[in-house]
Formats: sequence, structure tokens, C-alpha cells
Amino acid sequence: MSRSVAFLSLSAARARRTAPVAAAVVLLVCVPLGRYAAPHPPERTVAAPWTPPGGRHPLGTDVLGRDVLSRVLAGGTQLLTLSLLAAAVAVVCGTALGLAAGWSGGRVARGVRALGDLLLAVPALVLALVLATALPGATAVVVAAVLAGAPLTARVVGTQCAYLRDSGHVHAAVERGESTPAVLVHEVLPNLRRLVAADAGLRLVTALQIAAALAVLGLGPQPPEPDWALMLSENLPGAALNPWALLAPAVPLAGCAWAFAATAGTVAHTPREAV
Amino acid sequence: MTLRAAGRALRPAGRAVALAVAVTAVVFTATELLPGDAEELRTTGRASQEEAAAERDRLGLDRPAAARYLDWLYGLARGDLGHSLAGGRPVAALFAERLPATTALVAVALAGTVLLTAAALAVTYLRGGRGGSAATGLAAVPQPVHAAVLGAVLAGLLGWLPPVSLLPSGGSPLSDPRLLVLPALTLALPSAAFATVLLRGALGDVLRRPHVADARLRGLPAPLVLHRHVLPFLYAPALQVTALLTGGLVAGTALAETLFGYPGTGQLLVSAVALRDVPVIQAAALLPAVVLLLGMLLADLAARRTTATGPARHPGPALPDAPRGGGR
Repeated sequence: MSRSVAFLSLSAARARRTAPVAAAVVLLVCVPLGRYAAPHPPERTVAAPWTPPGGRHPLGTDVLGRDVLSRVLAGGTQLLTLSLLAAAVAVVCGTALGLAAGWSGGRVARGVRALGDLLLAVPALVLALVLATALPGATAVVVAAVLAGAPLTARVVGTQCAYLRDSGHVHAAVERGESTPAVLVHEVLPNLRRLVAADAGLRLVTALQIAAALAVLGLGPQPPEPDWALMLSENLPGAALNPWALLAPAVPLAGCAWAFAATAGTVAHTPREAV
Repeated sequence: MTLRAAGRALRPAGRAVALAVAVTAVVFTATELLPGDAEELRTTGRASQEEAAAERDRLGLDRPAAARYLDWLYGLARGDLGHSLAGGRPVAALFAERLPATTALVAVALAGTVLLTAAALAVTYLRGGRGGSAATGLAAVPQPVHAAVLGAVLAGLLGWLPPVSLLPSGGSPLSDPRLLVLPALTLALPSAAFATVLLRGALGDVLRRPHVADARLRGLPAPLVLHRHVLPFLYAPALQVTALLTGGLVAGTALAETLFGYPGTGQLLVSAVALRDVPVIQAAALLPAVVLLLGMLLADLAARRTTATGPARHPGPALPDAPRGGGR
């Protein structure tokens, strides 16, 4: 009896842990396919502007009378691709910096730390806006996500790397005469897997926030492109006429952010034996 | 002794100034990436060669970047922010016009953040230091989504508010407080969620300390335990998070003001980016960074005063990253 209760609570805990991961995977797989499920061409006017939901348009129409459902189905791919790319670059740069700082210590570590302090004093949104003056929107998102995120990755990776440097298996590898890159790749990095994975989730959230912000401010994809973030600013003036045109893109965007953040939390907190 | 104390107080100030100067270099470098320069923007490429040369000479564009940076820095130190490339008005005057509106917005948003965070932390306290995942989720959701959902619900489904905060020109934002609601909530909601995530960990750590259990066992009533044995340990991190969030709120005005048509400095930054109006962009980008550094400095000094034995302080402005919880 008590064993079955324990089992039940264990599986509930496991469900809580796996739900965000499953949601993230489902979103990443389904969003690019959404375009093919759209009932109407997402860029064509099919009814009067701001038609409320009903009939052939389950979510109504937007500012130009385009079908909201079709635009939502078609509108996430670019945003997610860009965020994934930006997060990947940020994690790679940050991990490299962190390993360098943690392994060398001393002056390098202080330099990386000072650089981080400096970049973190400028809010990511402002950094992205300033960069968007000169660079195309997508490039600005990647550069801003790297500048805002890599220092944080470098910080956590550096701390852990400095700690691992004094552990037995690393000492053994160094004594065996392995080169520093080999030690870092074979002995240190495998132990940082979980840390880096959790951090990647957070970098993805930041990248998504930056990408969405620039798109909303008109510095990302240009109309008539269907894009969740762009739809938010396009349809805000019609909030009173068809609020669903506003809520429909907000839900998947929020869902992605939640799934990535919760996945990061799950990876960071999962007990070792459970994986 | 007093000298050492003075030194202790001056060191963070020196650090903040050094960081602020470094931030100006970052901002200047980022705007230097701009292909083409101010002359092309002013003359839109239609000027004859002599006119262009004269304009470049007047703006000092042929001088090396380092010299122009130092000029700009010297101007900043004297309070001269340069002139807007679009319209030629002094940047300082443009800001002076819009700062009251943004100050009101940030103040209301900050008050909302503090109230919401306090409420969320009270719930956490009542639950014994364990937090739900709502705050983590809300903090991760991009700000435009907050804006859209608030707009759709408050202005759309409920019809309580106008979806756009068009302020009559020259009017004060306080003349119609309804206009502040949507942009202020858009700013306050994610920042309160973020603050909750950051402070929840600190709260949980304090609650696990033996002296709290001890005070409870001695039979002290819960409010007294909170007041005497829990809150004093939270002042330092709370001040730091407040400073950090104020900088974030100022930065966030770019989005909230633009989306809801609220005429403040954030909107000024976004329109300057569209026009590539470099002097305005530089000044507008410095504003949140300066607010953040100044806030961090004040928080640091206040924390030194109030808590001698508080929890470990994080050095520098780079406290938070992440919803990591307090466990690890």
C-alpha cells in the first residue's frame, strides 16, 4: 500500500519533470510543420478586417483581414530558428570563455569576469536596439544574445571548471601528459554536461525574448510575413475588436518560453540517478 | 580607521564610474558599426561633393574614432549630449521633454513590482519557502506577450481601458492615470516575476537557517519571527534586485512605450533607431545603464550600512541570472 503510494508520487514527480521537456520537443517539431496545416494562405486577405472568431475563421481575422489561425500556424518557425541559433552561439562562446577562465584562473578569470560585469550593465534589449541600428535584425539578435548571455554562461562554467581542475581524474589526466585541450574536452566538459544544458535553456529564453522584442519594434521580419511577435504589435490596436488576434500568437510564444525555462530548471534540478 | 572606512565607501563608487565609462565605450563602438555616417544621413546622399565635405568637416567626421569618442565623453561630462541628426535639436532638450513621462511610468511600474513581489514572497513564506513554477514561467515569457495579453484582456475582453495611451501633446501622464495602467503593468508583471524568482531562493535559505527554527521553537509569533529574524537578511539582496530591476524597467520602456504609444524616452530610443539618429541613440542607451549602475552603487552602500552580517553579497552589477531556485 505505502509502496504503491510512494510509486505514485514518484511518477507524479517524474511527470512534472518530463512535461516541460516533452512540451519543448513537441513545440520544436510541430512549429515548423504548422505552415502546412494552415487552412488559408497566411499572407492573403480573406475577409473583412477584425472579423471576430466564427465560421471559416476559428480565430477571426487581423488588421488586414487575414486569417489569424493560418498566420499563427505559419508564424513561429523563423522566430524559433533564430532564437536557437543565437542561443547556440551564446552557449558555445560562453562555455569556451568559461573553460579558459576556469582553467587558467588568475588574470584571465579576472578579465572574463570584468568583461561580464561590463556587458551585464547594459540591458540586453538596449544592446539589441543599438546593434539593430547598424546590423540587420537577425544579426543584431544573435550578437545581442551572445553579448548578454555568454558572460553568464562563462561565469557558471568557469566556477565549475575551476573546481573540477582540482579533482582526481583531471590531475591524473594531466599527469598522464595529455594536452590541455584534450583534458578539457575529455575530462572536464563531460562533467559540465548538465550545467551547460540547463544554461542553454536559459540562453534560449533570453534569445527568444530579444528576438520577439526586436520583431515587435519592427526591426525583425517585415510585413506581410507571418510572425508571432510581429502579429502582437500589428493586432494590438484591434484589441477591442478581435482580442483573439492578439491572444492567439501570444499563447504559443509564451508556451515556448515557459517550456524552455522549465526544461532548464528540470535539467538543473534532476537528481543524478534519475537520468 | 576613518580613512579605511572612506576607502571602503569610495571603492564601489570608483568601480561604478569605471564601469560607466566602459559602458560609454561599448555604446560608442556599437553605434560606430553603422555603415555610412552622419553626413550621409543628414544630406541623404544627395549633396554635392563640396557640400558633403563641408558637412563632414562641420561634424568632425574625418577625425579618428578615438578622438570623436573622447569629444563625446567630454561633452557627456559637461552635460552636453550633442544634437539630434533629425531636426538638429539638442539631445538634452529632447530628453528633458520626455523624462517626466518616463519617470512617472517607471515609478508606477516599480511600485507595482514591489507590491506584486511582496505578495508573491508572502505566499512563498506561508508555504514554508517553497515556490511554485508560476513566477518562473511569467519571468520567462517575453515582454511583448505580457503587453498583448494585458491589452487583449483589459482593453479587449473587458473593455476597461483604451488600448493605446495617446497622451495629448504637452499633457502630463498624471492627468489621465488610466493611460499608465497598461504600460506600467506590462513592465511590472515580468519584473515582479523575475524579482520573486531571485528573492525566493534567498528567502528559502534564510528560512532554513537554525536561528529561525530556534525563534519559532521559543514560541515567538510568526510576524515577529518574520520581522526580527527573516527580513533583516533579505534587505541586502532585495535592494540589489530593486536596483537591477529599475535599470531593467528603464530599458523595458522602449517596448512598453512603443507598443502603447506612450511618449517617453523609450519611444524616443526606438524612433531614433529607426532614423539612425546616432546622438539620440547613444544618450538613450546610456540612460538605463547609468540608472542600473547608480542603483547598484546605492544598494551596495545601503547594504553595508544596514546589514553587517547579511547573506553573502554578489560583487558587481551582475547578480542574477536565473531561475535556479535556492537549493543548489
